[in-house]
This record gives sequence, structure tokens and C-alpha cells, in this order.
Amino acid sequence: MLQTITLVVAQIIVLLGISPFLVGLIRKVKARLQCRRGAGIFQPYADLAKLFRKQPVVSSTTSWIFTATPYILFASTLSAGLLVPTFASLTPLSFTGGVIALVYLLALGTFFLILAGLDAGSAFGGMGSSREALVASLTEPAMILSIFAVAMTAGSTNLSTIVHKTALLESVVTDPAPHLMALAALCIVAIAETGRVPVDNPATHLELTMIHEAMVLEYSGRYLALIEWAAAMKLVVFLSLIANLFAPWGIATTLTPAAIGIGLVAYLLKIAGLAVLIGILESMIAKLRLFRVTELLGAAFILALLGVVFFYILRG
Amino acid sequence: MALSSIDIGSQLVNLSSALLLIACFAIVTLRRLSSCINVYILQSVFLAMTAALVAFFTDIHHIYISALLTIVIKAVAIPLILKKVIERSDVNRDLEMNVNVPSGLLICGALVILAFFITQPIIPLGFLLTRDSLAIALAIVLIGFFIMIARKKALTQVIGFLVMENGLFLGATAAAYGMPLIVELGIFFDLLVGAFIIGIYTHQLQDTLDNVDTSKLTTVKE
Repeated sequence: MLQTITLVVAQIIVLLGISPFLVGLIRKVKARLQCRRGAGIFQPYADLAKLFRKQPVVSSTTSWIFTATPYILFASTLSAGLLVPTFASLTPLSFTGGVIALVYLLALGTFFLILAGLDAGSAFGGMGSSREALVASLTEPAMILSIFAVAMTAGSTNLSTIVHKTALLESVVTDPAPHLMALAALCIVAIAETGRVPVDNPATHLELTMIHEAMVLEYSGRYLALIEWAAAMKLVVFLSLIANLFAPWGIATTLTPAAIGIGLVAYLLKIAGLAVLIGILESMIAKLRLFRVTELLGAAFILALLGVVFFYILRG
Repeated sequence: MALSSIDIGSQLVNLSSALLLIACFAIVTLRRLSSCINVYILQSVFLAMTAALVAFFTDIHHIYISALLTIVIKAVAIPLILKKVIERSDVNRDLEMNVNVPSGLLICGALVILAFFITQPIIPLGFLLTRDSLAIALAIVLIGFFIMIARKKALTQVIGFLVMENGLFLGATAAAYGMPLIVELGIFFDLLVGAFIIGIYTHQLQDTLDNVDTSKLTTVKE
């Protein structure tokens, strides 16, 4: 019992603490590649602190959904984060659910964000919501299937069990061909879900091209801070999934201090490496036209499906 | 659990064969001809890597030579020829297709599943090292076929043909640990000459029709 509580607290601290850093790191990498000095890596912390002190402005036409959404989004993303192994293969809430719980906790937050975008009745919010609904409905099957492709080799849909088995090589769970297809699919899904460049531009100032930013245009003060923090955590959740499902090297499989120390260092290195990769990728490619996004996500779905089918036909 | 060297070998070979298959899907999705060629270069490098891995883990040395030839001919010479042809006939952007990209992807997915089903009974008979590569190779051949059918421009049809050849090479490496060297040399030479001929042919098309769209060939009268 005490161990579970300690793990929950530790994981919450890691998730909340590391997420603004990753956003800052991606921005720094992009700035350096554009020959700018850029803001410091820790700027997002200062931004969040500033937003929390500001008074929020709420439109008089909005309903309770508008004020409740930031809390729902923050809470659902945080609980989704507790289902994903980060520095230790044992996740605090692994007994409550597996892959499907994770996917739908994230979908719950997205659903409320879509409602909140519509709630204020502004044209841009509605546009953002309709685009987000398009992207979310296409990423969901690809995400589930890509995790299933890995789950089937490990024989469990519990993320903690999958990562634990893979890290210890307990059964022959490394099966490169289907895993690679699943990895490619999950990377596309992660980019689309976290609103990174080929799908959405997090730094855009042009409302016509926004997806995620258009939905949160009406938010200010602590509400905006909660939404931005939740978005940063979602990035951490996806990067942790990719890092630990496909490369669980160094992860703590026991709860001794030494193992946890190594696990923490390995986790931070992997996550920071992936964030740098995202920064480089965003500098290299241009944003896709909205109607081409469906093609990209279609490719992700087919790859994930093939990962599952590969296992069924050739290993079944 | 300790992995034996044959296990590691087969996993690495599977990994690089899967990379080839993913490159195929990239070619199906991409619209710009020059990026198709870049992905083809990447695919050929993966193919050379697979061949080199097979050579390393089986100690069959002549496969190293075909890996080297793959790099020289498929990753350097043929793309150079194709890029020259693109420069002369401005056909770089937005390739026309007979089917749109999402349905093309679905068809390719179905083709891959078909390939898996067909090879499934054969696979237990194969060598341990390259077990899954045969299924992937057949899938690549079918996707190459599909690219040739789905694209209208002569140059992308060439890419379909080249992808198919990559699939055949992977299949030969997987099913028989490579063909005799003399046969492989012949194939490489054929491929190079083929790329040359197709380059000249595209050039002629461009001259006579102001276009490299093969569907317009039906309008040509004597």
C-alpha cells in the first residue's frame, strides 16, 4: 500500500516536472536550427507560473463545460500518465487498466476540449474543434492497433506487464518486423495527437492553420496554464510509450534505489533524445495540407494493422 | 534469457526487411517524384544492409559483393539517371494516380496480407535466419506491381518496377541465400540498361507528346 502511494507520488512528480522541460527543449532545438538563440530551456516553467497568477477571463456566453474542461483535461491526462511506465516498469495504477483505459482517458480529455472549443461560439474555436475531431477519430484506431501489435507478443494488454516482460526478455517478446511497423505507426500517431508539425503547428499565429491552438484561443489565466500543462504531459505520455514499449533499456524492473536511479537517468536520456528528434523533424519538414493529414494517418493505421496481422498469420 | 547469435541474426534480418516494406508504403503515399526516388535510394540501402547481414551471419561471402553492387547501382547510378530525366522533363510535382492515396494504401495493405497468407505454409520450411523475409519480399513485389498499375507517369512506373526488383532480390536472398554471383551480375546489368532505356523512352515521350503520361499513349496514331 505504502509502496503504491510512493510510486504514485513519484510518477506524478516526474510527469509534472519533466513536461514543461521537454516543451522548452523542443523550442530550444528549433531556435538553434533557425540560427536564433531562443528562450531558455526552462522558460515554459516561468510561463506556467505567470499564467497561474493571472486572472482568467471567461466569456459570459459560455456554460459550465468551458470552466470544467481544463480540470477534466488535466486530470484525465495525468491519470493516463500514471498508466504508462516511465522510469520503472511497475506503474502505480497498472492494476486498474491497460492500453484501452489509456487510449480512452486521453480521448476523454480530447472530447471535452472539443466541446469547450465549440462552447464559446467563436468561429475559430468551432473550426479547431471540427479539425481536432477529424484527427482524433483517425488516430484512435491506429494507436490501439499499434500497441496491440506489441501487446500480442507479450501476451498482455497491460502496459506495465508488456514493458516488464520486454525489458527482462522473459519470453521471446522481441519480434522486430511487426514491432517496427507498430513503431512507425505510433510515431505518426504521437505527432498527430500532440499537435506537432506535419499535422499541426504549435507555434503558429495564423488562426486559419491552427488545430489545437484554435480550440484554446478563448482560454486565459490558470485555465490556459492547466491546458498547456496537460498538452505538455500528453507529449510526455506519448514519448514514454514509444521509448518504453520499443526500447525499454535501462528501465527499473525492481524497486531498489540503484535500479530506480539507473532507470531515471535512462528514461530522461531517452525522452530528451526523442524531444530533440522532434525538434529536428519540425525544422526539416513543412506542415501538411489538412486534407493530406488523412493520408498520413491512413498510412499509420495500415502499418499498425499489418503489425497485428503479421503476428496473427506468421506466428499464430 | 540469452539470445544465440543465430537468433540475433534472424532478428536483425527481419528488422531490415521490415524497413524495406515501410519504405514501400512511403513510396505509395508520396506524391513528389523526387521524394519517391529518395525513398527508393533509402530502400536500396536497407536492401544492401539486409544482404550484408545475411552474408555476415551465414559466412557466404559472395553476398557481400551483391550488397556492394546494390549500393553502387541501385542507390547511386539508377537514381542519378532518373534525376537527370526529371530535370529534362518537368514532371516533379503532384503525380496523377488511377486510385487516390487512401484507397491505394488499403489495397497495398490487402496485398501484404495476401502475401503473408501465401507464404505462411512455406515459411517453416525455410532457413531459420531469413524466415519472415520471404513473406515481406513477396509483399514488396506485389506493392511494386501495384505502383506500376496505379501511377500514370512513365517515371513512377519505373519506380514501381525498381521496387519490384528490390522485392525479388530480397526474396532470392531470403529463400536461397542469394543467387549465383554470375546471375546476380546479369540482373544488375539488365537493371542498369533498363533504367537507361526507360530514360531514353521517357525522353522520346516528352518530345513527341509534351507529356510523360502513359495513358495518353492510346491517342497516338500512325
